Amino acid sequence: MRVLVVDPDPARAALVAEGLSGVEPLEVRHALLFREDEAALFAPDVIVVASDSPDRDTIESLREATAANPRPVVMFVDRSEPGLAEQAVLAGVSAYVVDGLSKARVRSVLEVAMSRFQLMNGLRQDLEKAKADLASRKTIERAKALLMKERGLEEEAAYRVLRKLSMDTGRPLGAVAADLVAFAGVLKGNAS
Amino acid sequence: MSGERPLRLGFIALNDAAVVIAAKEKGFFADEGLDVELSRQVSWATVRDKMSVGALDGAHMLAPTALAISLGAAGAEPTPLVAPLALNLNGPAITVASRIAAAIGPGSTADGLARLVARRREEGASPITLAVVFPFSVHNYLLRDWLARAGIDPDRDVRLTIAPPSRMTELLVGGIVEGFCVTEPWDTAAVAAGAGVIAVRGSQFWPRTPDKVFAVTESWAAKRPDELQALLRAMLRAGAWADEAANRAELAALLAQPHYVGADAAVIETSLEDMVFHADGASAPQPTHAGWLLSQMMRWAHIPAEVDIEAVARRVYRPDLHAIAAEALGLPTTPLLEVLEGFAEKASFRLPTAQDHAVNARLSRNPEG
Repeated sequence: MRVLVVDPDPARAALVAEGLSGVEPLEVRHALLFREDEAALFAPDVIVVASDSPDRDTIESLREATAANPRPVVMFVDRSEPGLAEQAVLAGVSAYVVDGLSKARVRSVLEVAMSRFQLMNGLRQDLEKAKADLASRKTIERAKALLMKERGLEEEAAYRVLRKLSMDTGRPLGAVAADLVAFAGVLKGNAS
Repeated sequence: MSGERPLRLGFIALNDAAVVIAAKEKGFFADEGLDVELSRQVSWATVRDKMSVGALDGAHMLAPTALAISLGAAGAEPTPLVAPLALNLNGPAITVASRIAAAIGPGSTADGLARLVARRREEGASPITLAVVFPFSVHNYLLRDWLARAGIDPDRDVRLTIAPPSRMTELLVGGIVEGFCVTEPWDTAAVAAGAGVIAVRGSQFWPRTPDKVFAVTESWAAKRPDELQALLRAMLRAGAWADEAANRAELAALLAQPHYVGADAAVIETSLEDMVFHADGASAPQPTHAGWLLSQMMRWAHIPAEVDIEAVARRVYRPDLHAIAAEALGLPTTPLLEVLEGFAEKASFRLPTAQDHAVNARLSRNPEG
């Protein structure tokens, strides 16, 4: 397990390292400040950040921006702020460690964070795929409607035309349908 | 008049927290019988979370962040906020690394940078990396607009990253970023360190650039209207004090303290020159400003095109609450801006047409999408 701990306080990085002793292979790296280039090279499985680290904004924006390479983020929170940890989780932090937590539980917290992250990431990808599928299906419907209107075809025949185009060009049905709709727009002078 | 515990207000280490800090230090909060505790925060994400859970009663906040939190766009669930006070005008600036300043050349447009971007691309070199403080910041939108005017696509031609304001100079020196847009004193600090050159001040291409607001949750404002008015009166007086030229040296010394901004007092005093806290109605939250910011959020697809810009701008920005406090102090009423002043757009920007403006900007940017 590769863990990057970004924390102004080195004691908490030590806590993480101790709590994970026995995990093989293990590399815990402590950074006072987050550096994107170093983090990219290190490729951590999980990033642990203190809630009082000024780098929280950077790490949070990375999670938004680098959809290609997201990492679970675990946050150290001070127990004097009730509700804060839950709010951070709503905002996308995978899990949190309440400050003062015993080292015995560090391992389970990180493991839960990683599996929760996998789950959420999987759900997000499913959702994106579902949205894309729906959009593609709508485009196919529009392309079929166009063919039916312009060429006087039945629905089934219009679908066969699209499917043949797709097979002939080796491109997905949705892409062929999108082209057809776009070209129809150009021919009618809708696009300039 | 306060409740059982002091009111907790959050701020980030920047010059534009001046009004909040001066209200505390110069006794304006105390004059109103308010017991206020200022709490320095280290990231905007933390400010957002603490506002949502009520760990902070109010905060010094990036204006677009207040809008984004209200819409639930800045991560987490939507928490409706109100901004009854603008904390400053002017203050953001775009700074580039001294190393590339010569290649960019003089002038306040990004044309020189555009040439550098093109050259890097021809050479196959890594793209220019620029930093802003938070995705939902006027800095992000100023920088994007500045780049786009020179034909640079901020999402494709350069790399935009997020970094804490106080670390900008260090990142510039280390070559991690080659430029940034941040509020003072961190631009002047980079210049003083010999690391950067200010390419353009926000005020040069948009005189009276809006920046930070004071925000509370809508529910807090509804539950504690008297305390909110007392806070506003104290901060209006603090803003007037902070604007006085005779008080600027004292203000700089106040801000320089390590538990506030924690930068050199001389640097802060220089970097305050451009900033307005009170004069000519600077503290009135202008829904037209919110409208422009929302239109930029929409332009760059940071919020969905379905958001009703005018409705959100009017719900979050509350000049009516400001007017009550101003009247109580005998201050003149600030007229609301109908047209965005000083901002060089082809078509003038008005709140009722903000939606069309944003949608057109989005379409013209991405004709194939």
